[in-house]
Amino acid sequence: MKYQSAIVFGFNEYAKQIVFQISEAYLSFCVFVMNEEERLSAQAAGYDTELFDLSENWKSIEKRFDLNSLVVFCALDKDAENVFLTISLRSVFWHLPIIALAGDHESARKLKNAGANKVMPILQITANMISGMLEKPIVTKVMRDIIDENSPIKIVQITVPLDSYIIGKQLFDIDWTKEYNVIVLAVVDHEGSTRFSFTAHGHNHHIDLHDILVVVGDDENILGLSKAIGVIK
Amino acid sequence: MIGRWIVGLAFFLQASMRYRHTKRFFHNLLENPAYPYKKFFDYMMILLIIVSVYILIRHVKHEVNNQWIYFNNYIISIIFLIEYVLRFWIYSDMTKIVTEQYEHDLFLQRPFRWKWALHLILKNKAGYLFSISAIIDLLAIMPFFHELRMLRIFILFRVFKLFRYTKSLTQFISILSSKKFEIFTLLVFASVIIVVSAILIYIMEANNPESRIHTLFDAVYWAVVTIFTVGYGDFVPVTDEGRMVAMVIIFAGIAVISFATSIVVSAFTEKLDEIKEDKLVDDVSKLSRFYIVCGYTPLAREVVERFIKSGKKVVILEKDISKVHEAQKIGFMALLLDSSSLSSYHTLKIDFKRQVEAVILLQESDVLNVYTALTIREISNHIKILSILNQLENRRKLLLAGISEIVYTQELIGLMSKQEIGKPIAFEVINALYTDKKGVFIEEIILDAKTRTRFFETVTQPLFHKRLLVLGIYTAFNDKFQFNPSSELEIRSGDAAIVIGTAALIDEFKAMIYKKGNR
Repeated sequence: MKYQSAIVFGFNEYAKQIVFQISEAYLSFCVFVMNEEERLSAQAAGYDTELFDLSENWKSIEKRFDLNSLVVFCALDKDAENVFLTISLRSVFWHLPIIALAGDHESARKLKNAGANKVMPILQITANMISGMLEKPIVTKVMRDIIDENSPIKIVQITVPLDSYIIGKQLFDIDWTKEYNVIVLAVVDHEGSTRFSFTAHGHNHHIDLHDILVVVGDDENILGLSKAIGVIK
Repeated sequence: MIGRWIVGLAFFLQASMRYRHTKRFFHNLLENPAYPYKKFFDYMMILLIIVSVYILIRHVKHEVNNQWIYFNNYIISIIFLIEYVLRFWIYSDMTKIVTEQYEHDLFLQRPFRWKWALHLILKNKAGYLFSISAIIDLLAIMPFFHELRMLRIFILFRVFKLFRYTKSLTQFISILSSKKFEIFTLLVFASVIIVVSAILIYIMEANNPESRIHTLFDAVYWAVVTIFTVGYGDFVPVTDEGRMVAMVIIFAGIAVISFATSIVVSAFTEKLDEIKEDKLVDDVSKLSRFYIVCGYTPLAREVVERFIKSGKKVVILEKDISKVHEAQKIGFMALLLDSSSLSSYHTLKIDFKRQVEAVILLQESDVLNVYTALTIREISNHIKILSILNQLENRRKLLLAGISEIVYTQELIGLMSKQEIGKPIAFEVINALYTDKKGVFIEEIILDAKTRTRFFETVTQPLFHKRLLVLGIYTAFNDKFQFNPSSELEIRSGDAAIVIGTAALIDEFKAMIYKKGNR
């Protein structure tokens, strides 16, 4: 994992689920809450907590965490508070990855403008899920299984390493399905970028060092592919 | 003896399935707007009325074929007579009145009073006989009994029968009937003015040789024509006194017209919402397949927008009028109905099994969603119900209420946060497949043994190879997903292939595997 530490701001129902899902994946984890009631609730659930208010200068974060491996989740009750928290954090920590929850698209835009790296609009996500479950129930079920870590079929990101035999080849020169029994869904052209293109568009892609392949397959075949292209030596 | 015979007949008819089915059939045909064949019956009756009136008009100046006269006087009249008798029959249940009276007398240990039972039946049926619509029906049959030229005018009563078959006319009458008192007041006012003015003008003008008003009828005719601001000019007052009366009646006429206009306008304004609601209910009952969304919330708006975008029909049920207006303003089909009440669904007159795809409960209270789910389960055990879960501890209650799918947004956000950190790009890819932001979609294609061969053949064609990604096949019988399947995989009816590609390519692919003779 790229990040060693995480902070979740807030301890409402959304924050609780985020905490529940991510807390064990980090060496250092803390829940920042705005009131005593939430602090007691988070402590009772076994989490390290800290009180804060929106006028903080965030000295405690600098003291407690390595900012190069820290990620924060803004999940306060109100969108306005999340926007203010995001802008407040961004004003101090220029490179800190901030993931924020937004009630709707309007708040999502404000959070983006306030400096959030990633915004999760709750209404849109839920509406997508509802329409997916009713319109494409099988797709929804399968995709839900694929993103589950315990599923035999997984979706992974593989970064093309130095000296890989695929560097310089065209994407469609390789029959990924026949050779490795995997499906390459998308490709990201440059390291660090999150702009990907779907292979289903049919545009052939020149594979370079540090390109990222988004691959679906089972554990064994993904491992086989990783070895073949030199990710695992 | 007669009493026993009447009771015996009543019980026999009540027990007879054929009698009950026949009566229900005619009730549906004549009175039930939701009955699919009623509209054909109505169209036929409207056609008969038009033919009848056409013959009447044609007969004024032209000779009409005797066969048409016969058709008009006898065939159409007999059809109307049959309809009149059927309506009389279905108006109430005579057998029920008889058996109830019999059981009542039996309980009080006295002989069956059959004459009283007949009295009750007649009293009940009189309700039909003296109703305005039944009187019009009867008068419309009159040409059958009289071929006298003057009585042909009764054919015009057939035009009034149109009220029975056209909803808009019925609605117009019901709107005006809500202002009965005002209309009555107006009529009294106009009548008083007409009578007083007619008498006055008669007194002033009748003996004047230059005046054309000679009789009281002339005077009444003049007063009516003047008060309703028509003023043909065929009768005009010539004396100063008469003109004074004319001036008064002209002013009164303006008041009458204004009053009449305001009554009609206010009646329509007051009933406008009701009319719109009725129209909407009618429209909903005619939809073939649609989703029902219970509760109009910001989430409901997002959900409905998605369905409408994909060409699906959605009906929103909401009991808060301001929210209904808000939804209607956007153009959604929203009805002011309490989704947790059984009567709301009866009002809608819909066939759940045939028309409803699924019910989506999006109210911001688990209590309401559970209550609504139980109401829907009373109507249909099989309809799919999806609900949002507001409080985690209520999940089991929602399941017990018969909700088929539960969406707990908070859990969803938690899972997504995990993905977002671990595999942000992979997560973005999945997200993009669900929306149309990148022009690539994920679709499920239902297969069966027949389409199986064509599916595997088509997918290897150059057009689709490497551009249409077959993620796998979901086999329904064992609830398994076969990733990257081989062409040897056994496919059963109901299995689904999951493919990823551009919309155009997926459409083309579907067209090829479902093409005629393959499905």
